Amino acid sequence: MRTSRRQFLARSAQLGVLLGAGIPLLNACGSDDAASGSQRTEPIADGLEPEKGPLRIINYADYVNPDVVADFENKYGVKVEISTIDTDTEAVAKLASGALKVDVHHSMSSTSIGNLIQGGLIQPLNGTYFTNRGNVLAAFDDPWYDPGAVYSVPYTFFGTGIGYRADRIDPAEVEAQGWDTVWNATAFKGQVSILDDEREAFTMAMLRAGVTDINTLDQAIIDQALADVIELIDLVNVKVNIEGYKDIPEGTTTIAHTWSADLIAGAASYLPEGTSTDVLGFWHPPSEQYVVNNDSMGVLANAENPVLAHLYIDYLLDNAVAEKNFSWVGYLPALAKLDADFVIGAGYVPENLRSCVPTNDDIGNGLKFKALGPEGDAQYEAAWSKFTAGG
Amino acid sequence: MSSTGAVQIDPTGGRPPRTTAWAGFALPGVGWLIAFFVVPVYAVMAVAFGSVDPILRTPQPAWNPLAWDFSAMRSLLDRVFGGDLGKVFVRTFAFVFLALAGCIAIGYPVAYFVARKAARSRGMLLALLVLPFWISYLMRMLAWTNLLQQDGYVNQVLQWLQVMDAPRNWLDGDWPTVVIGLVYGYVPFFILPLYAALERIDGRLIEAGRDLGASAFRTFVHITLPLSVPGLLAASVITILPMFGDYYTNSYLTSGSPRTEMVGNQIEFFLRGSSQPQTGASLVLVLMVFLFALMVYYLRTTMKAQRESER
Amino acid sequence: MTSRRRLFRNRHGRARWLALITWLYVMWSLLPVLVAVRISLNSGKSRSTFQAPSFRWYWGDPTSSVWHDDSLHSALWNTLRLAGLCMVIATPLGVAMAIGLQRWRGRLSRGANTLMLVPIVTPEIVFGVALFIVFTQVYTGLPGGLTTQLLGHVTFTMSFVVVIIRGRLTAIGSQFEEAARDLGASRFQALRLVLLPMLGPAIFASLMVVFATSVDDFVISSFLSTGASTETVPIKIYSGARAGSTPALNALATVMLLVTLLAVVFASLVMRRMRAHGDTSASLSGITV
Repeated sequence: MRTSRRQFLARSAQLGVLLGAGIPLLNACGSDDAASGSQRTEPIADGLEPEKGPLRIINYADYVNPDVVADFENKYGVKVEISTIDTDTEAVAKLASGALKVDVHHSMSSTSIGNLIQGGLIQPLNGTYFTNRGNVLAAFDDPWYDPGAVYSVPYTFFGTGIGYRADRIDPAEVEAQGWDTVWNATAFKGQVSILDDEREAFTMAMLRAGVTDINTLDQAIIDQALADVIELIDLVNVKVNIEGYKDIPEGTTTIAHTWSADLIAGAASYLPEGTSTDVLGFWHPPSEQYVVNNDSMGVLANAENPVLAHLYIDYLLDNAVAEKNFSWVGYLPALAKLDADFVIGAGYVPENLRSCVPTNDDIGNGLKFKALGPEGDAQYEAAWSKFTAGG
Repeated sequence: MSSTGAVQIDPTGGRPPRTTAWAGFALPGVGWLIAFFVVPVYAVMAVAFGSVDPILRTPQPAWNPLAWDFSAMRSLLDRVFGGDLGKVFVRTFAFVFLALAGCIAIGYPVAYFVARKAARSRGMLLALLVLPFWISYLMRMLAWTNLLQQDGYVNQVLQWLQVMDAPRNWLDGDWPTVVIGLVYGYVPFFILPLYAALERIDGRLIEAGRDLGASAFRTFVHITLPLSVPGLLAASVITILPMFGDYYTNSYLTSGSPRTEMVGNQIEFFLRGSSQPQTGASLVLVLMVFLFALMVYYLRTTMKAQRESER
Repeated sequence: MTSRRRLFRNRHGRARWLALITWLYVMWSLLPVLVAVRISLNSGKSRSTFQAPSFRWYWGDPTSSVWHDDSLHSALWNTLRLAGLCMVIATPLGVAMAIGLQRWRGRLSRGANTLMLVPIVTPEIVFGVALFIVFTQVYTGLPGGLTTQLLGHVTFTMSFVVVIIRGRLTAIGSQFEEAARDLGASRFQALRLVLLPMLGPAIFASLMVVFATSVDDFVISSFLSTGASTETVPIKIYSGARAGSTPALNALATVMLLVTLLAVVFASLVMRRMRAHGDTSASLSGITV
């Protein structure tokens, strides 16, 4: 018995070494379509004909109006396939490993575009295919994450604030307390949520403490933010999710750290029958402390249908199409025409949710999330892991 | 099983011939398991002890054991032993053992009844006990969350029974909901092996105890219970091993509360939502080490049972 | 004797409490599912209370019902396709492996046997992580989604087949094959004409277990899915907690439940026809070891 076990272990060890040597062979047999790792600088040529498709897109779930996509399919006679991803990190991981082969990235986050560009995953855009570029808000002509807007076109933009039930807590109180509303919400224990995102959650704590450098790598500040957020666990039985858009209208959450567009989407689609949009409210800090973020569209470097990809992006920049998309998604497109007066006037956004539409000042003066680099990300992620572990 | 008419003495004692041609039958399966089980586990180690591409944050596995970098594992172990992750492990163990206690409290009486007492309705009861296997686990959780909604039937019944005055928010992230959810989800997997073990207990031993004058209760405590311990242990181990890696039950039932976070959730976060897959892979390895003793125990008893039944 | 002691002394009396507990458990176990099925027949959007019955969420609603919502019925189709292919691949592999392991003597065989048992005791999350890593780092040429999910499911379910079949092989013993060989059959003829038919019920049981396990799998499918087009029903139910969920999810789960139950009923009818010998505990012990 003893001998057999030893022999078995010995044989397994041999197997392990063989495997260790053999794996690189297997690796070499794998696909070479994944990124080569260097930045792409050449866009596609001018004047090419659109391909036959199908056009493959990667996007968050429910982040584009299916009717809009169907209209595009009819217009160009091609099929569109959408793969959904849950998080930005997942998208980068799957694209980099070649697990996903797509043509259009529908919602690149501003903190990872830099990585996508450097890693050679997206290609520079050829502006000759765009007719609607002029519709885009001027603020996005030279964004910090993509100087000169070479690789990307903005899709939607939104701000982070507090969404709440105006019928349970007085809007004036929320105005007066600001971020403290969340920490003071002991009367609503179990009905408070914060965003499931380490940057957003700790930024909220930092802003509450008066820190405006939300991209800081100062461990002391991060630790303090962590301590503040941990307080919420026992104070208000805080929940951590991105479901404010349906939980606030449905009433299971009273106060939510959430995005401006969630309230718009909630007002449009998730209120129970017979409930007025007056029950919803949204607060955000003044422009200088308002975190305004945006998602962007880009074309993958190894896209099989680059021309179609360009045409799709251009299609979404059309004012009428963007309006139709907005009416379903709730997130504002970054187009000049669709400002607060327009969307309220057209009935997409109720007047009491005017604060959900970031103004030009907000975009110009607002705070922006920047990429932090591997060590910075590790710091925030370690803190987040400590928080979710229960403090 | 009656034999055929001819009686022949079998010199091999009834065992099949020793021939390694039979090995050929097993080879496809073994090859498959090596390719899709052994290699992946090795890949987890390679990622855990490898590095990360700084731009794209994708894991860069280190295939050669000599090139393994243990720094991620070391900092993880620091966090586990005496850090915040230790709390998650403790909580996970607590949930699992509470759930196991619940499974035993509910499952043992049921298994005992069906195995030893229910002569007439045994077939039907067995069918009803097996039924949850065929119902998707998540559908049973879905059903349970439907009932636990603020305006759902659990609250309505409890209020009608006057156990509670006001509707309670069951889904706000408290541990009882998670433990009850785990019990509800896993107790069918506990009852069936236990039933099989209890059913195999030789009834004559129990009769002997009664014949010698012991009461039903004493017979149970001194004869049935000790005889059922191996089966109880086996059923417990086969139930708690998957429970340790469970991450979807609690997050489904609490929509993201830090107070019920288990090891599986942390693994999922590091591997899918962060830029440190090597930490996630290391955490998987740490979990497996914790479970190693249980796994070995189950493997040894199973193989012993196999050998005995084939002798 | 006091009446209380008579209650405990009386065999019938004690069984009454146990019977009560058992039936209560059965109700607790199954009633929520019945409630979920009832809710799938709601006419409105409520997921917690009964409303007027209607088939809205099955085919009535033009956008959200299972029939009309692409993502829902593609999830259904994915799940069934995956389970069907898994049955067809895992069962033969498992049967062959069981036969081979039982007859193959020697230490390598014991090693292979251990290897076969390890997946049963491995938590699913380890599987999910390991397969995710291996398909993104090592076997990178494989198309994501269905292919990788299938490979994962087969790996996971094969061991169950082996355990079931081995239990049955032990119960059958070797005398039938020996008799056939004595009568002149070759080894493989004996296998094909005598053993395999006798294994029939166990093979069918394995097919059902593989089907049910694959249909129910969440972790592996979720880690290996590449987006909405490769989601399965469990994934849809799980993420339904996020997207504005309606009773359409209950309807989807109910459809899946009906398909599984039909498969089980069909299988048990076939097995009853096929089964010549055997009693419950032998086949049951094959499943649970």
